[in-house]
Amino acid sequence: MKNFKQCMLLFSFILLSISVKAQTKVEPWTDAQLMPTSQLAALINDPKADKPLIINIGPQAVIKGSVDVGPGKEKENIRKLEKMLSKEDKNREVVLYCGCCPFDKCPNIRPAFSLIKEKGFAKAKLLNVPKNIKTDWIDPGYPVN
Amino acid sequence: MILNVRKLCFSFVLLANVNALAQKALIAVGNQAPEIALASVAGDTITLASQKGKVVLVDFWASWCAPCVEEQPVLRTIYNQFNKSASTEKRFEIFGVSLDSKKPAWEKIIRKYRINWIQVSDLKFWRSPVAKTYEIEALPFNVLVDKTGTIIGINLHGKALEEMIGAALEK
Repeated sequence: MKNFKQCMLLFSFILLSISVKAQTKVEPWTDAQLMPTSQLAALINDPKADKPLIINIGPQAVIKGSVDVGPGKEKENIRKLEKMLSKEDKNREVVLYCGCCPFDKCPNIRPAFSLIKEKGFAKAKLLNVPKNIKTDWIDPGYPVN
Repeated sequence: MILNVRKLCFSFVLLANVNALAQKALIAVGNQAPEIALASVAGDTITLASQKGKVVLVDFWASWCAPCVEEQPVLRTIYNQFNKSASTEKRFEIFGVSLDSKKPAWEKIIRKYRINWIQVSDLKFWRSPVAKTYEIEALPFNVLVDKTGTIIGINLHGKALEEMIGAALEK
């Protein structure tokens, strides 16, 4: 009986540590670096606003005025992104987006955001597309290419 | 007077219900599957209507969707299983609709997983009109259609999908 109780206690600790680990998964971006879709749409729609450099690191450059690098999971595209960033002022606001799938399943955003961070872009942003580009950008009627 | 108010209330309730019905999803069990007419890899248009008379699994997927790609070998097993009958006439078909945006990426997966069922795409990613028609919110997504073109299952996978196909073929 004592052994059983000890086993249960150990099991609970393991479960607890797994859940704590899951909650503290470190992402390359901070909450402050997530740009709301409404904010980017407003910037695109405002003719007087300074436009950020908007880069697609997913399957297709859907957002109006964005440039296409391609899926960030492919090394070749990360090299393309690196080349593109090498020509940019590090103080320029750069917004990366994918939108293929929910953040936790997206294979593209992490390699791309890690690179932009490494290159020292102080105003690097990740577009907050929690579900996908259809639900979060196309369906609300935001500007498309 | 009271009777009139009651009548009025009843009409409002009725109207509200009719309105709710009008907004109800098109993609539901019992409804006709909306037509799909898209290009194959070779470029010729294939319609879902052309498959009438067969039980059809409409599989929405993309090469960029990892769980969709993982499901392709499972679909291959199901496809072979239900087309093994002595009759040469196919009674089951998979109508793969890809939400890819780039043809080489789509073709690569078709080759890699030796996909030998129908494959179509307009290469418009999430902007494909078919994503709207079929009310797709996330991938993978599928719709099982019976011999008359009626939806009999939505988002079925694994064993549940196999059983439903088997039952539909027996009808």
